[in-house]
Amino acid sequence: MALGEVLVQALGSAFQPMTVLYAFIGVALGVTVGAIPGLTGDMAISILLPFVYKVDPTMSLGLLIGIYKGSMFGGSISAISFGVPGTPAAAATVEDGYPLAKKGYPKRAMLQALYSSVTGDFFSSILLIFLTIPMGQLAIQFGPTEFFALYVFSLVVIAILNRDSRTKGILASVLGLLIGAIGTDPVTGASRMTFGIKLFRGGFATVPVLVGTFAISELIIQYANAHREKILYKLGQAKERLTIDLNKNKDDKYGWKHYWDTFRCTVVGSVIGTFIGILPGAGSSIACYLSYGVGRSVAKDADEFGKGSLNGVAAPEAGNSATCGASIIPLLAFGIPGSATAALIGAALTMQGINPGPTMFSANQVIIYAFFIIVLYASFFNLGVSRLLIPLYAKISKMKPKYLIPIIFALAILGCYTTDNSISNVWTLLLFGALGVVLRKFRIPLGPFVLGYLIGPAAERSLRQALSMNGNNLMVLFQRPIAIAFYIATVAFIFIICYTFKKNKETLDKGAHSDDE
Amino acid sequence: MKKLLAVLLAMAMMLALAACGDTGSQNNGGQNGENQSGTGDTNTDQNNPSSGEVTFDKTIKLIVPYDAGGGVYNAAIIVAAEAQKYLGTTIDVVCMAGNGGQEGIEYVYNQASDGYTLLATDYGPLISTAIEEDVVYQLDEFTPIIEMTQVLPTFFVKSDSPYQTMEDLIEAAKANPGQISVGHGKFHSVPHLPLMLLEDLSGADFNEVPTSGGSEALAFTLGGSVDVGASVPSTVAGSVAAGDLRVLAVAAEDRAPEFPDAPTLKELGYEVSMPAWYTIFCKSDVPQEIRDALEQGLADVIASAEAQETAAASNVTLTGTGSAESYTLYNNTIRDLTTLLG
Repeated sequence: MALGEVLVQALGSAFQPMTVLYAFIGVALGVTVGAIPGLTGDMAISILLPFVYKVDPTMSLGLLIGIYKGSMFGGSISAISFGVPGTPAAAATVEDGYPLAKKGYPKRAMLQALYSSVTGDFFSSILLIFLTIPMGQLAIQFGPTEFFALYVFSLVVIAILNRDSRTKGILASVLGLLIGAIGTDPVTGASRMTFGIKLFRGGFATVPVLVGTFAISELIIQYANAHREKILYKLGQAKERLTIDLNKNKDDKYGWKHYWDTFRCTVVGSVIGTFIGILPGAGSSIACYLSYGVGRSVAKDADEFGKGSLNGVAAPEAGNSATCGASIIPLLAFGIPGSATAALIGAALTMQGINPGPTMFSANQVIIYAFFIIVLYASFFNLGVSRLLIPLYAKISKMKPKYLIPIIFALAILGCYTTDNSISNVWTLLLFGALGVVLRKFRIPLGPFVLGYLIGPAAERSLRQALSMNGNNLMVLFQRPIAIAFYIATVAFIFIICYTFKKNKETLDKGAHSDDE
Repeated sequence: MKKLLAVLLAMAMMLALAACGDTGSQNNGGQNGENQSGTGDTNTDQNNPSSGEVTFDKTIKLIVPYDAGGGVYNAAIIVAAEAQKYLGTTIDVVCMAGNGGQEGIEYVYNQASDGYTLLATDYGPLISTAIEEDVVYQLDEFTPIIEMTQVLPTFFVKSDSPYQTMEDLIEAAKANPGQISVGHGKFHSVPHLPLMLLEDLSGADFNEVPTSGGSEALAFTLGGSVDVGASVPSTVAGSVAAGDLRVLAVAAEDRAPEFPDAPTLKELGYEVSMPAWYTIFCKSDVPQEIRDALEQGLADVIASAEAQETAAASNVTLTGTGSAESYTLYNNTIRDLTTLLG
């Protein structure tokens, strides 16, 4: 079949009214589940999986791609409006998004998140369409040695970023690594470090750990603060609680100027997100944090990071959304999914009788081109739908905490239970919620902690694989060019951060710089 | 504004409910079913002894001890989709992957022995874990009802690999003990165990590299990090068809339909046949007549044109091997794994 003919057919099936409708519904659903802490796009897709093979392949693809893209952005809505990331991928967005909202710029932060998300997503979608094979080739260059180097780089970048104290950042990541080691040995699958506790067997599931650490702890602290303010108010010692109001701040607008000002960070996020996205197993949380970390080192307002910088929203949001298209690249190039969601999309394709992998380009040309077209227009749907939904969802944050907190709490429990149909997940959620409160009280940063937990088992497996492939010779870690590049980048990053850190300290000491917290 | 908020909240709650529909619907189904069976029991109790026929009047839960999207899950939902017509009731497939799948198995173990909660699994979580770890059940407390499909452990290399045949590879591994690396999916998984057996029988010594699963084994093989990969046909079929990979052998009685040119290890003279069955189990104390009815109904489902068609489109070959034969297979697997792992 000639390419023109294929394209015409692909356009025809991609723009069928039902396919467009499914994609639209998918985006709306994705944004919604993304915005609810504990509910993730993965979960929505796995629940819909039994139904998708009964509909036309392009329709089911529209739905799944819509959910994937929508949920990547949706997580930032709750991250910005009440400091609770809606999805694990939006964890880093809280760092600056929530302070921005507290300063009275929730709408600006959300629009920044949206535009950066769409930019990052569009960037990686374009690469998916035009560079599938070369990008896929890059992905499989990553053996265990390279993965280990990447994990070292990511963890170091996040651990030393902490503004208050690098010691605490390192402490947090070590704590995360230790907790990640609980459960099963990542190589042999044997139980270890379970202390004979049944809940510890099999390790802690990712979603409840992240939702617990970030969301539950934040809710507990907010509830406690609200309660304290209420008592103070009754005693006549404080004014009423400040709530985030989208319409109150006349200055809370977003313009092209903001977009261009943050463009550098959006690009950094897009590139890092795409790169992490094509690597099977690295994941959108790592992309989001790494983009935040690297974004900070290239942004002009590095000092503002953590206090409410638009750049601090742009980088991670571009980063997590850029993993969407990218994680599908190795799926199409080799049948190797780049993320859990890509694996589910692969399963959906398999159920439709389409083998994800290199043969798709010859055996299912029409479907693959239709798929590309859907991937592209879903980005614009995401832009349109989210643009409409932002003001609506943001209004939820105006609810009184006494209603809002229990509702989010209940949804988080429900979502974590449903992820694996497992009651252990609920206990994990509460356990890590409590741990999160302790960490926050000691001002130990949550980002390095969670990243340590996520990276630990993967890094351990890569290290042990690399060593076992090469006769347990440690030097092998420094013999592959990509790995060496990562170690050099790690060292360079440490120097850059230490230098700017020192400079900041000097300026801090000179001027009476007040830290608003 | 209040109204809008109310609508939004209602939507959120609905979504949450829809989201937990997977579990929620079964719970509801269970409760409704119990009510129905409560009222229906009087009828069936009177009818049953005379007709001797077991009917199913509430939804059957089929527990999969894996996350959605894997091989066992795919087979399970193909079977579940056609259940209504041939079994007289619907089957809900529920994923319970917690604690390496043990949560799912324990769930089935703790439910009533009425045949309404079944387990769909391969031998990994059910048998291997039972041999290596403490589990709550005994292996004879589960009985196979029917086999859904079998997957064949497959050994493969990159197309430009120097090893043209399995014999080349085994000779090379004998000549250079521990030098040739094999990426084989998870530790003690479906492709790993036949590899261990092959080493025992042939005297070849490979460097076994566990990965996080078939995808990683495939990626490492394509990228040249390992010399040989071991996985299952569905993982590698695409790359083989595209000419990126060459299948050296499969560890089964018969050749894989996907790779008609690849010999079995038996043909090459090694008694390594360890296909992984994906089988539906119930607890052994489920009454015989219920088990028979389930086997009959599920056999009809699997034999149906609809199920066969969906399966063929998804590259799954439904087998439908009955209870008696599956029982032998189950016990043989237990014996083999106990020798290999024990």
